Amino acid sequence: MTNVAITTLLNQTDSDIAAYLEACVHCGECAEACQFYESTRDPKYTPTFKLAPLVKAYKRHKAPLRGIKKIFGLVPDEVTEDELREWEPLIYDSCTMCGRCTLVCPMGIDIAGTIRKVREGYAAADIVPDGLKQARVNVEKTSSPMGVTPKALLAQIKHQEEDTGLKIPVDVQGADYLALFSSHEIMASPEIIGAYARIFAKAGLSWTISTEAYEATNVGVQIGSGPLAAKLVQRVVDEAERLGVKYVISPECGHAYGAIRWAGPNLIGRTFDFEVLHIIELLDRLRRDGLIPAGKKDERRLTLHDPCQIVRRGGLLKEPRRLMDDACSNFVEMPGAGIANLCCGGGGGVSANQRAEELRTKAFGVKLDQIEKLGGVDAVVIPCANCRGVFEDGLFDLDRELEVIGLGELVAETLADDPPKAAE
Amino acid sequence: MSFIEFVEGPMFYAAAAIFVAAGLWRIIGILRIGKKPDLAPPRGSATAGWWKGNLRHFFPRGLFAERTWMHILGGYGFHLGLFVLLFFAAPHIAFVERFTGLSWPALPRWGFIIAAEIAFAGLIVLWVRRFSDPVMRQISDWDDHIGTWLTFLVMLTGCLALQESVVALRATHMLFVNIWLIYFPFSRLMHAFTVFLSRGATGASYGRKGMNP
Amino acid sequence: MRHILSFLAICLIVATGVPASAQDPVTQTRESIMERQRGLGLSGDYSLPSGQPPAPEAVQPGSVPQLGTRGYASDSDIWRALRDGSANATPSSSTAASQLMQVIGDDWRMIRHDYLIKYAGWVLLGVILLIALFYLIRGRIMIRGGRAGKTIPRFSMSHRIAHWFLASTFILMALSGLIILLGRPVLVKGLGEWLMVGQLGMDDSVVTTLKSVNGVLNSAALQGHNLFGPVFILSLLIVIVRFMKGNFFQKADFGWILKGGGLIGGHASSNHYNFGEKTWYWVVVLVGLMISVTGLFLLFPWLSDNLRFHQAATILHAIGALGMICFAMGHAYVGSVGMEGSLDSMLRGEVDVNWAKEHHDLWYEEVTGEKVSHDHDDTAATGAGTAEGTA
Repeated sequence: MTNVAITTLLNQTDSDIAAYLEACVHCGECAEACQFYESTRDPKYTPTFKLAPLVKAYKRHKAPLRGIKKIFGLVPDEVTEDELREWEPLIYDSCTMCGRCTLVCPMGIDIAGTIRKVREGYAAADIVPDGLKQARVNVEKTSSPMGVTPKALLAQIKHQEEDTGLKIPVDVQGADYLALFSSHEIMASPEIIGAYARIFAKAGLSWTISTEAYEATNVGVQIGSGPLAAKLVQRVVDEAERLGVKYVISPECGHAYGAIRWAGPNLIGRTFDFEVLHIIELLDRLRRDGLIPAGKKDERRLTLHDPCQIVRRGGLLKEPRRLMDDACSNFVEMPGAGIANLCCGGGGGVSANQRAEELRTKAFGVKLDQIEKLGGVDAVVIPCANCRGVFEDGLFDLDRELEVIGLGELVAETLADDPPKAAE
Repeated sequence: MSFIEFVEGPMFYAAAAIFVAAGLWRIIGILRIGKKPDLAPPRGSATAGWWKGNLRHFFPRGLFAERTWMHILGGYGFHLGLFVLLFFAAPHIAFVERFTGLSWPALPRWGFIIAAEIAFAGLIVLWVRRFSDPVMRQISDWDDHIGTWLTFLVMLTGCLALQESVVALRATHMLFVNIWLIYFPFSRLMHAFTVFLSRGATGASYGRKGMNP
Repeated sequence: MRHILSFLAICLIVATGVPASAQDPVTQTRESIMERQRGLGLSGDYSLPSGQPPAPEAVQPGSVPQLGTRGYASDSDIWRALRDGSANATPSSSTAASQLMQVIGDDWRMIRHDYLIKYAGWVLLGVILLIALFYLIRGRIMIRGGRAGKTIPRFSMSHRIAHWFLASTFILMALSGLIILLGRPVLVKGLGEWLMVGQLGMDDSVVTTLKSVNGVLNSAALQGHNLFGPVFILSLLIVIVRFMKGNFFQKADFGWILKGGGLIGGHASSNHYNFGEKTWYWVVVLVGLMISVTGLFLLFPWLSDNLRFHQAATILHAIGALGMICFAMGHAYVGSVGMEGSLDSMLRGEVDVNWAKEHHDLWYEEVTGEKVSHDHDDTAATGAGTAEGTA
């Protein structure tokens, strides 16, 4: 088991990861950027410390000049199973792979990306938290980590058709856009499906939802299993190419976007025949093309949470802000908003990991302080279903009140009325 | 052969050769591991990102600087001071000229003394932080401490030889320089070079995503 | 800060006795000699300075010297005039330049050589012996009732960095300073002439070797001392500012003194810092600033051409530094080997709850809002009273 882990760890170590491991000077700055350290003040949550098993394996088996060091007995011992297990909570519970540590790192080390690689080793050896194991079982059965079946999806679609009075296309061959959702959205906030319907209807675009590939989340990426992640991406790719769509729309879900947009082609080993767009990217594009003009603004005091995998690690920094400016008149930014914003505390599979609940709530406390410092915020707009879930749980645990809304929903609500309607 | 002839002669040549050879070996060794090409369609330029990553990380972010200012002052003080000291002190330029014939303008004596003082202050602050901060105690290993101490001793013996009239002191300085050169490529001191690989790797991958953290 | 500095500067000026002429050595003038010869001035105070500078025309060039008992004014008078600076030996108006013969240096040399260097080493050894003796008698002072295992924060990161920054530079300055002051007497006189040649009967050449070793060490120490000096001052200023809060004397300090810091009996209450620590802080402030000012003066001698300043600076600098080194050794002892749990405060920034209750009860109460009970103190004190020195 340990051997599998070590072999996988070493296979994952490319020249970028090697450069990261070689460059770390143990300056400890990363701790100052980590919410888990900030909220607990426990030095074991120092991001670079979490990489220790990989560092050991690398130094022993892969680092240049290790031969000379071996002569002097300066190569570390083999990583043991006990060590792997000891580090497991650090790797799965106390890292959301938010990547904030990279910002503060004078060496520019991508610790989050490296943690992702460490998880490969753990997943290969099946040293994984129970919560994620359960999610993996669910995915293998139903393709959804929460066990959402096509039947449940169709039921929710029907409700939304009734609510909006719009036909929601399902499994339409030759549509331009294929919309994906996260289980959390389908089950907890199906209004988002209705919002999509309104937006696409407004823009006059052909779109569809597939009963084969509706799930955007990718447990493989969270748990750190490349093969599983590839399988999940492959299913979407196959379906998108079968339906012949031009675009696949990644929903408001952080890691789902990274999984298909940035990791996807590398996971399945080829480029796609379609373009992957994040829903925010699409909305921003449609807005700028004049297809979905903005209407009356929301006048409440709103702030925007930046989901790590969409903004800092996804590259969508300006798009959500342009949409916010159009959608509300009293938009306030958090300190450090944008690229340096704090994580919700539950990304990277931490929210699916029951063992991490207490720690996650602490980390969320730091996030909440950041928002409460703004004063008088009526609602926080969050373009990520997972973040929204973490916010809702955290607010409940900490007994605090704050409205949480999705960006797509906000945009759908603040669309300009149809000209024909206005004429009526 | 006198001691000074040994440390400025054969030992220095050997140390410099080890420094260059092992240093190159290590850098090339890292690059040789290689990586798969990124198949995801880029939103921005990886090359531009590589440069941006390298330059951006020279400067701290204000948001974090508030919390880590002591460390930032120490780090900048040490590195800038050492840089000036290393390359613009008249005795160092004279030394380089002796071997290569290359020469450039030196700082006046008071200038490099001030640089040395800043470098010393910075290094001491960094080292002090290393043993008195729980985070630093958690992550530091022997390499960190040896690197710090060796660099400190090189600087200290250099400053003790400032009168430039006692051969024994210059020889001591050279001895530590040689040890430092030999230790360098095998240790974390290599961050002086690997930093560019690391920042570049992150910069390039973020550059492709259209970001530049 | 500025006020403290200017205050110190004034103290320095007063202490070193300006103007210099007011303290001229015992002098005889031509008048006093003539008076005595004429039997006029036998008032008995001829040997005391008149308070007036000697008449400048005494040995003016070209003037006809008055006859003395041995013919012309005796050579010794001329030498005396040269010695006390009244001879106007050169036309320069600069005080230093017009003084052909400098004798105050002789006094300085005597103080430095016959007192300072002679006793400095013994003082240091004495303090080390005292500490060793204290350790033998008292042993390591353990936390009463052992560690609680729970800690409370005592020194922030910036406190710790400031402290160790000063500590490191202080050690470098102390070592190099001691080499400059005591290198020759210890190496050449003590080790070489006394021990190796005198006691062991080795060849005289060993002294020559030790002299050159001392020369190398002194060159190194002086350069190091000069270079680290400004860094030391920087770290000193940081510590003065960072540790000022809580270091003003308070009511509880009286009780602490009366109880001898807990050594005499009973529990000596104290705030964040006890009387010993506060005293150490103010020693660092006052003596530290004094050796900084005098040190800068030695580093930049062109700041004044008054020799007395320079001489006073070297003497004060050495005395102050020696005092601080003695204090620092005691401080380091109590802060590490001497007392269980003390080092934690500066190493980790956190101290054991029981340590805090025992040594800084008032501070503990202030921080935690909990009352500290001293019920068991008296029984325990007989065996292991508290002795907060200058931790």
